Amino acid sequence: MIKFEQVSKVYSGSHQALQKVDFHLKQGEMAFLTGHSGAGKSTLLKLISLLERPSDGRVILNGNDISRVSRRHVPYLRRHIGMIFQDHKLLMDKTVFENVALPLVIEGYSRAEVERRVMAALDKVGLHGKEFCVPVHLSGGEQQRVGIARAVVNKPPLLLADEPTGNLDPKLSTEILKLFEAFNSVGVSVLIATHDLGLIAKMRYRTLTLRNGKMLSDGLMGGEHV
Amino acid sequence: MFKMKGSPRITKVPIHKRFVMFWVNHFQHAVGTLGELWRTPMASLMTMAVLGVSLALPASFHLLLKNAERVTASWDNAAEVNLYLHQGLNDKTTQNLIKRISLYPEVETVTYISQSQALREFKEMSGFGNALDFLESNPLPATVQVTPTEQHSSPAAAKLLLVKLQREKEVEQGKLDIEWLERLHGIITLVVDSVVAVAFLLLSSVLLIVGNTIRLNILNRRDEIEVMKLVGATDAFIQRPFLYTGLWYGIIGGMIGWLLTSSMVLWMESTVKQVAGLYQSDFRLLGLSLSEFVFMILLSAVLGLLASYVSVKRHIRLIEP
Repeated sequence: MIKFEQVSKVYSGSHQALQKVDFHLKQGEMAFLTGHSGAGKSTLLKLISLLERPSDGRVILNGNDISRVSRRHVPYLRRHIGMIFQDHKLLMDKTVFENVALPLVIEGYSRAEVERRVMAALDKVGLHGKEFCVPVHLSGGEQQRVGIARAVVNKPPLLLADEPTGNLDPKLSTEILKLFEAFNSVGVSVLIATHDLGLIAKMRYRTLTLRNGKMLSDGLMGGEHV
Repeated sequence: MFKMKGSPRITKVPIHKRFVMFWVNHFQHAVGTLGELWRTPMASLMTMAVLGVSLALPASFHLLLKNAERVTASWDNAAEVNLYLHQGLNDKTTQNLIKRISLYPEVETVTYISQSQALREFKEMSGFGNALDFLESNPLPATVQVTPTEQHSSPAAAKLLLVKLQREKEVEQGKLDIEWLERLHGIITLVVDSVVAVAFLLLSSVLLIVGNTIRLNILNRRDEIEVMKLVGATDAFIQRPFLYTGLWYGIIGGMIGWLLTSSMVLWMESTVKQVAGLYQSDFRLLGLSLSEFVFMILLSAVLGLLASYVSVKRHIRLIEP
């Protein structure tokens, strides 16, 4: 699904965010991406969703080198990736329904289809009945669920989450992770960036560790390599 | 399930449904942006009013010219050629000349004023009265007044006729009283040119004003645009509502411009009637015709669209998540 080959990223001001990173996330796999803040977790995710371009190396998404995808094609590529952010990135003046419907409206689904899919997605994340609320009236955990519903509503094969539990207490965090597990169990590849090591330890999944832009370890927590 | 071979432009929605939804989307945006304008009436009305005023100015200049041209068109037809004959021609030659001239295809009427007739008229008009009796001989020439037919009464055609008439050997001198008309035409051309220049400036200011308003709209919705880009919206999708906003600014601004111009005509009509009455004329002020109205709205709509297009192209590209 995702393959990094010797990927480096240098930001202007010669800040080296990533150095020769190699890894491969298979289709249907779920993994954590961890490291201290500033280790390059966000940069790595941004390279996959083409929010940033690599300075060197190749990023391969499902067999296609996306480093050289033209600007015009970027939106179409992003439609295949569900993205979840720490700060949710919701439209605060729109209802939950409108927020979740956005990717479907963009892709040109009919009104009836949009309604059906949005309701199904809200149902999945446990927000049934909240579709006409405005995000500001929801709790942090609920807002994150809206974000997740929006990410999965058009059934992308890949989910990227950047600190999805950053602002949540452990109980809510576990619930959110259970959601990701549920999506993974139906074949969606999931990559979650987090520095919440306690959370990772609880669920035994493959873990990629970054330190100062280098891939330190690639395997299960506790040293068991895959 | 995740095919990307070749172009990544694959979609899960069949093409015909996409086509239908494309237009549904357009319609929704068109209505939606109009609703948006309705919800912020003051801000949008200001922009549209500026547009309207900027359009009303060249439109009223145009009306002024149109009406002025109608007035001078009737003056054109008054062009008259005066032929002064040589002294001492006998009656027969004079009658011959008049007959010949009246057979010209360009000539409508011919009037002969004899030497004594001219003197009599001059006596009455000048007020010299009996003082002229002391002259030994009559110094005034006999005159033939020639009025050209309508299609030969334009300054250029009348001039040609004058040259032709001057070739008659009985004619000493011909005079065409159109110099002032030529000057008037010159002034009108000058006014037209300056109106075009002013209109050009005003319309460019319309472009800048609408462009700037759209730019502010875009910056206000920066977060929304970022989110839309994150979930895979194309630039075309994002810019659509802004283009419609520009289009509505144009259409409504054009209507305001038309209203302003029309009310100006209404307001001036009574005054014009009064002045025309003083000149025993039934001249009426012409307003904007239907085709001029349509042209005005279309021009305004195109300007609004163009301004927002330029603004949108520049600024939406710059907003990246």
